[in-house]
Amino acid sequence: MTSAICAHSVVEPSGRSKSIAGSLVVVYALLSMLPLFWIFLTAFKSPPDSIAYPPKVIFKPTMDGYCGLFSTISRQTPEYIASLPPPTSICDKVARARNMVVAGPSNFLPRFVNSLVIAFGSTALSVLLGVMAAYAFSRFRVPGKDDLLFFILSTRMMPPIAVAIPVYLMYRWLGLSDTRSGMILLYTAVNVSLSVWLLKGFIDEIPREYEEAALVDGYTRLQAFRKIVLPQAATGIVATAIFCLIFAWNEYAFAVLLTSGQAQTTPPFIPFIIGEGGQDWPAVAAATTLFLVPILGFTVLLRKNLLRGITFGAVRK
Amino acid sequence: MSETTVPLTIAEHAARATPDAVARQVRGLSDRAIAWLFISPTILLLLAINIFPLVWTVRLSFTNFRANRPNAKILGVGIDNYVSVLTDPDVWAAMQSTAHFLFWTILLQTALGFALAWLVDRRFKSHGFWTTVILVPMMLSPAVVGNFWTFLYQPQIGLWNYAVQFLTGIPAASFSMIGSVKLARWAIVVVDTWMWTPYVMLICLAGLRSIPGYIYEAAEVDRASPWRQFWTITVPMALPFIMLAVLFRGIENFKMFDMVNLLTNGGPGSTTEVASITLKREAFEKWRTGYSSAFAIILFVTVFGLANIYVKALNRVKSR
Amino acid sequence: MTSHWPRILRRGRMEAAAIVIIAAGVFMLLQPFSMSLYTYSFVTTLSGTALFTVVSKFPE
Repeated sequence: MTSAICAHSVVEPSGRSKSIAGSLVVVYALLSMLPLFWIFLTAFKSPPDSIAYPPKVIFKPTMDGYCGLFSTISRQTPEYIASLPPPTSICDKVARARNMVVAGPSNFLPRFVNSLVIAFGSTALSVLLGVMAAYAFSRFRVPGKDDLLFFILSTRMMPPIAVAIPVYLMYRWLGLSDTRSGMILLYTAVNVSLSVWLLKGFIDEIPREYEEAALVDGYTRLQAFRKIVLPQAATGIVATAIFCLIFAWNEYAFAVLLTSGQAQTTPPFIPFIIGEGGQDWPAVAAATTLFLVPILGFTVLLRKNLLRGITFGAVRK
Repeated sequence: MSETTVPLTIAEHAARATPDAVARQVRGLSDRAIAWLFISPTILLLLAINIFPLVWTVRLSFTNFRANRPNAKILGVGIDNYVSVLTDPDVWAAMQSTAHFLFWTILLQTALGFALAWLVDRRFKSHGFWTTVILVPMMLSPAVVGNFWTFLYQPQIGLWNYAVQFLTGIPAASFSMIGSVKLARWAIVVVDTWMWTPYVMLICLAGLRSIPGYIYEAAEVDRASPWRQFWTITVPMALPFIMLAVLFRGIENFKMFDMVNLLTNGGPGSTTEVASITLKREAFEKWRTGYSSAFAIILFVTVFGLANIYVKALNRVKSR
Repeated sequence: MTSHWPRILRRGRMEAAAIVIIAAGVFMLLQPFSMSLYTYSFVTTLSGTALFTVVSKFPE
């Protein structure tokens, strides 16, 4: 019987039930994408278009949003603007059309760079610590292994606000508040638990025979780890790194409580992008788009390993 | 490579007999040393950044310390802070806001997520692509999501209000999801459901795919109707996975902070003030550090208790 | 070893009991009905969690 080969259901779903299921799922997917698509559109609207009623789907795209995001602008009299030399950049042109001039760069770029530095820094550290600990947990008899592993995981479950009070006091005392290194350490501590659990799953899957053969060939444990285990675990390491990167990139609670300027990341900054009279929605939408696009790419890269990531490596498909 | 070499045949022989014993005899650092060398940095980091602060919080929770007055005299107040948190009607109200949020998000996400997983499991054409599309919202930053939903929720100009008008005829300008006492609680439920239904779907899908085909075959032989198969096979077999998803969403939403903080900031009034928002107000706006430390410990113990159950559920699913 | 261990104290049962106590504590914390249940929720959750930590060391 052919049905016996089929992984789980005896009767392969009929063509009609398949197409009904398919269309329902597609409808849900499109509906859930709508808010994101709307933000993407809003980023290209002029401020009046962005708050038009009824909401505009067809509009003349402008760079107002992106210009408003990267530069600060101020209102000037038409006479003053007429007296200026011709505009040198697209943002100059866009601003002058609305009787504004570009006054200087905004804080967005430094915040974005902070996000990048902190996310990549903490990811590198947590993957390094994670791969070492995971290897040890996977290969050696460690006394109290289950307790240690649970302890490591439970630190991730802590409510961030609850930890933030003493960390705030501690960082103030150590001079680490509002510094990139402080945030890197903090995010590493949060991510290392995920990193250990995920990587342990990946390393468990590498047959021990490879290393044992290498040991027999005269490799030391450390050499075997570096030359046999690490290359074999490469995919797992990359997947883990992307998970850590996404967490650090998205984190808000610690960032808003422990940073105020110097080391502030993008998520606490975005709500404070304001224009004349309230939030400058096209600029906010532009910031949101730029902030979310890398995540879209990562989701596609991770799709095979997502399930592992969200169950700390317990469910492997 | 180093200077001495073990004779290959003997080593091979030993490897076949007792691989672990050989491993312990190889040159270089002993396995035990390597194990501790590899694990201790992680443990030390967690002790410094997680456990030390936790112990400090416990100590502060028995004092009247205020972080904005570091030079004031610190007095021990015993368990007074705990008593006042646990008898404070405002905190109790915050817990009920949390309960409303937890109950409805978990109910909606489980129902929608399981239904979606069941549909995706029909394996229609290009289901892989559409699954990935559905997964996108859960990868996003909850804070940024909360912030841009304030735009979608604007009365009149917001996409949400416009869609409601389009579908039900209620004028878009007549209601404000965030500004209204009645609707704000539902505003956060909608956003959280939009964001995390994919999470439940993904885990349920794994559950559905773990059910071996022969069980359905046997049911087919017994002429069990599809409806009966669904309730006697599909749901019970997927239940450990559903429990896993529910527990994790429960823990995460119990400590929900970022999305709600940016979407409603607990308002209007305190209708959407979930536990973490109250904690933030006490700790970082009123600076009642001792009191909020006690509150933090109460939240932490609850999460820790649930985390124990979660890990048990994880192990149960792992053995499948 | 397990033969000397009283049956009622087997790990599985005690863990189940601890889980019930934790769940009761969480329910007491979140329920809208009675203030005194809310007041004693923390003690309940704490004892459930402590019990769970202890009995997870018991033999199967």
